[in-house]
Amino acid sequence: MSDTATELLDPPAEEADADTAAETDDVIAADLLVEEISIDGMCGVY
Amino acid sequence: MDAFDLDAAWRLHPQVSVRPERFGALLYHFGTRRLSFVKSRELFAVVTALDSQPTARAACAQAGVDAADLPGYARALGTLAASRMICERTAA
Repeated sequence: MSDTATELLDPPAEEADADTAAETDDVIAADLLVEEISIDGMCGVY
Repeated sequence: MDAFDLDAAWRLHPQVSVRPERFGALLYHFGTRRLSFVKSRELFAVVTALDSQPTARAACAQAGVDAADLPGYARALGTLAASRMICERTAA
């Protein structure tokens, strides 16, 4: 199979990757800013 | 989780106790028994400014948050709203 045929079959993923990366960065940033836990049921917590 | 409304008035929930820390703050909700780590002093500044500012956006501005960082802070505030650490402030 020729290299040209392979190139034609590969979908352009750069734009989708950039959007996904930006959204992931926002989610990661939010997770870094706030972390939540429930202490219900922990020993010594009433 | 719905998108956080930066242009609404927010406040710390009355059942939430705040403990400032070097990394930011701990928020404990006595009703839900949930503990939130606010891992940024800037976000803590935003949270404490919520009650005195007309909108969350204004609170972010007062805390010195850059416009480019607003989306991340909006998501963080949305997380706090979803866990009822902060709530919308209704007109008295």
